[in-house]
Amino acid sequence: MTSMRRFMASPTRNSKALCLAGTALLAALAFFSLFCGKYPLTLSGLLGGDAMQWRVFWTLRFSRTAVGVIGGFALGVAGFVYQTVFRNPLASPDVIGVSSGASAGAAAGILFLSGAAAVTAAAFAGALAAVCLALALSSLDRSGRRSTIVLAGIAVHSLAQTALMALKLTADPERELASIEYWIMGSLNGISGYAVGGNLALCAVCAAALFALHRQILLLSAEEGEAKLLGVSVGRLRLAVLGAATLAVACVVSLSGLISFIGLLAPHGARLLTRRNGPGTMLLGGLLGGALLVGADILARTAAATELPVSIFTSLLGAPFLIYLIARGRRDV
Amino acid sequence: MSFFSVQGLCAGYAGRRVLQDVSFTLEPGCLTGVLGANGSGKTTLLKAVGGILPHAGRCTLQGAALEGLSPRRLAAVCGYIPQRSGIGIDISALDVVLMGFNPALGLLERPSAAMRARAAAALAEVGLGGREQENYLHLSEGQKQLCILARTLAAPRRLLLLDEPESALDFHHRYRMLALLRGWVRGGERAALAALHDPALALNGCDRLLVLADGGVRAVLDPARNALPVLQAQLAALYGRISLHRLRGADGREQLVMLKEEDPA
Repeated sequence: MTSMRRFMASPTRNSKALCLAGTALLAALAFFSLFCGKYPLTLSGLLGGDAMQWRVFWTLRFSRTAVGVIGGFALGVAGFVYQTVFRNPLASPDVIGVSSGASAGAAAGILFLSGAAAVTAAAFAGALAAVCLALALSSLDRSGRRSTIVLAGIAVHSLAQTALMALKLTADPERELASIEYWIMGSLNGISGYAVGGNLALCAVCAAALFALHRQILLLSAEEGEAKLLGVSVGRLRLAVLGAATLAVACVVSLSGLISFIGLLAPHGARLLTRRNGPGTMLLGGLLGGALLVGADILARTAAATELPVSIFTSLLGAPFLIYLIARGRRDV
Repeated sequence: MSFFSVQGLCAGYAGRRVLQDVSFTLEPGCLTGVLGANGSGKTTLLKAVGGILPHAGRCTLQGAALEGLSPRRLAAVCGYIPQRSGIGIDISALDVVLMGFNPALGLLERPSAAMRARAAAALAEVGLGGREQENYLHLSEGQKQLCILARTLAAPRRLLLLDEPESALDFHHRYRMLALLRGWVRGGERAALAALHDPALALNGCDRLLVLADGGVRAVLDPARNALPVLQAQLAALYGRISLHRLRGADGREQLVMLKEEDPA
């Protein structure tokens, strides 16, 4: 009976408590994010039906916060998936070229199209093209090696970088080059209106699919032959899982530009806290990712008179947190 | 018709053929050891039968070909223990054992309470009772092997392929593992094929021995029935000069003991 209790209890309870704490943190940051910025919003004003306040709330704050919460969550979950499937703590969605594809797409959008929505669409198309190309190239190799996807990703990444360079060369250095550089630095500034809805919905669908496939994702971390004789269609499942994770990331980076470190840091943080790889850890990784992005975005719009790139703060917040977790982990082992 | 048969199996790696036209059969309730020198193709044989390596030839289990089965249907009848499991993430021992039930579960389905109880019982059987929630990566190499053994024995299968499942185990656990395997094959219409490094274990624990040499099956031995000189001649081909003896232990059971004799210079 005692052994029964032991195998039903502890780490799950632990990760449940951590997930609750993570949710509370994310909710608090999101609430703060809604009310923080150049134009002062007040709860009483909103409740009083102040039309101007509601306009600012819907067009600026709400969409921005939603992208922060859902985008950060998706980056955290995608990072967890990549690290598990590749059995590599440094793996991130960037390895299959999604970010560089998005950058090249955005640069093309800035040069040849007009309007923020068009740039987002171009970035999304670029990211999607990079992912499809990487996955298609890797499926040419029928041996089912994990490393094939990485090699294909590196090829696509350098292809996209070359395209980006060519686009930058043709850009007008005063205006277009500056916006390309600014886009690449990443920011939630300027995300507004309802154009984000489709991206975020797709992002949420991908994240939900990944949670549903959680048990299979852990099976993919076994050696390939071993996984096959555990009944896993390794090649197909890996493509599906990585495809979903990368699609979620493509949705985010096409809205925000490149955001460094969240996909790496959030899942590691979650793992160091739970010491497991269960669904609770994946959820916690997402919650930490969301909290990190929303927190960084709050700093990006309040730290200086002008908007700063959000990546500065994701790294600035993230690095010490990771170091703290590493130090803490070493002490009590 | 035999329970499991391999016919004309050829397998190898890019440009190098390791096994050439291998054929043999396994009877139900039979634990078969695979012996061979390093590089003789023990692992290749197990991987080819398990469909991990592409191969020519046919493997037939109870009249049905294993080739062409989906991974899910193959895994439902055939279990495999690799030389070293590739699991490298923080995961509990219980969750490792539960992986064994994957072929019986839908893609999105979670293991049932009965499966969890069965998995815990399998861990207890291999001597890891009460350690269900321990991190698999923090177990010793031998305990990891026991945990993988529990994963393989917990779920229903008819054919087991084991690649040196004893390599990291201590003396006591080697015999415990072998007893578990013998118990398992006797438990129904089942067979197991195990590449073993320890000849003493193979000689005294297996019902049949498949001797691999020069890319093929050199001999199939029955250690309990074959005459000593026959066994000795076959094993000497693998291990150099040896002598083989039948000794009776304190429990009255006769066991084969192999001694290494000095090789001629």
